[in-house]
Amino acid sequence: MTLASFFSWLETTDVARAVAESLLATASLSALHLIGFTLITGSALVANLRLLGVVLSQRPILEVTEPARRAIAVGLAVSVATGLLLFAARAASVSVNSTFQVKMLLLVAAAVFHFTVHRSVTQRASRTTPLLRATGVVGLALWLGVAATGCAFILLE
Amino acid sequence: MTILDTCEWLETTAIALLIQESLYGFPILVAIHILGIGLSAGTLLWADLRMLGISLRGYRLAEVYRGLAPWFLTGFAVMIVSGAALFTAFATSAYGNVYFRIKMVAIACAGVNALIFHLAVGREANRSVPATATPMIARISGLTSIALWAAVIVAGRMMSYTMFSGP
Repeated sequence: MTLASFFSWLETTDVARAVAESLLATASLSALHLIGFTLITGSALVANLRLLGVVLSQRPILEVTEPARRAIAVGLAVSVATGLLLFAARAASVSVNSTFQVKMLLLVAAAVFHFTVHRSVTQRASRTTPLLRATGVVGLALWLGVAATGCAFILLE
Repeated sequence: MTILDTCEWLETTAIALLIQESLYGFPILVAIHILGIGLSAGTLLWADLRMLGISLRGYRLAEVYRGLAPWFLTGFAVMIVSGAALFTAFATSAYGNVYFRIKMVAIACAGVNALIFHLAVGREANRSVPATATPMIARISGLTSIALWAAVIVAGRMMSYTMFSGP
């Protein structure tokens, strides 16, 4: 089975059809997806601004980045779950959309970066350094990239 | 002049026509409005979590609130400007939409909640209160804020799916 035929099959499942046929279901999932986005983006902003030494610098870095990491994990759980359901309803056409593909690439990059490089850099840091600042900038760029491509996808498709 | 008359007039203004007729005006404005949610509600969330007393407890309440205020206030400015522009372009559709009305009521309530918090706690928060203290009024205010802004976000999204259907 090719990926394309898998996506076509996905659209025919009961769950996918239930979402596709109900405006209320699609709207509600989209609204929850946006809640997840708010949790992720807000936490990524605060955590990375802390790395840049711009906010909440009175206390050690981990006091901000650790709770933020947990919140991003929760936000990801919500957004990925709702995103999968929204995707399933229109899998065939969405999967070949180049804006969506870029969004997925950036999402993977942002999440992987955050739970690996970002995590190890913050756990070794005691004060703001060039490495920490660079990590903050990369983190911000990746998460904002996901957000921007998400908007581009939903508004221009 | 009724509110509906005002809405109809708004849709004929130069700004409204610009947004309605330009290819990218509307998508760009909506994108700004959505990204602004991250800056406004996303950062306010962390101030609210401190107010609730469940996170950032090593900081004084005032430290968190004042530290994040420039960010969420800038975010709200972005939301107000982009929201006002979007409203002028589609005022009658928005005005008639139940989710838009819910959204506006929720925003008004959030404003009242913030005012109450400031009047009741604002001056006290930095004085003799120990760093990890969380007054009950702050907890209630923080929880209310989170609930109200979640409602605003959900109502806003529901609005975009339902305001353009129909004659």
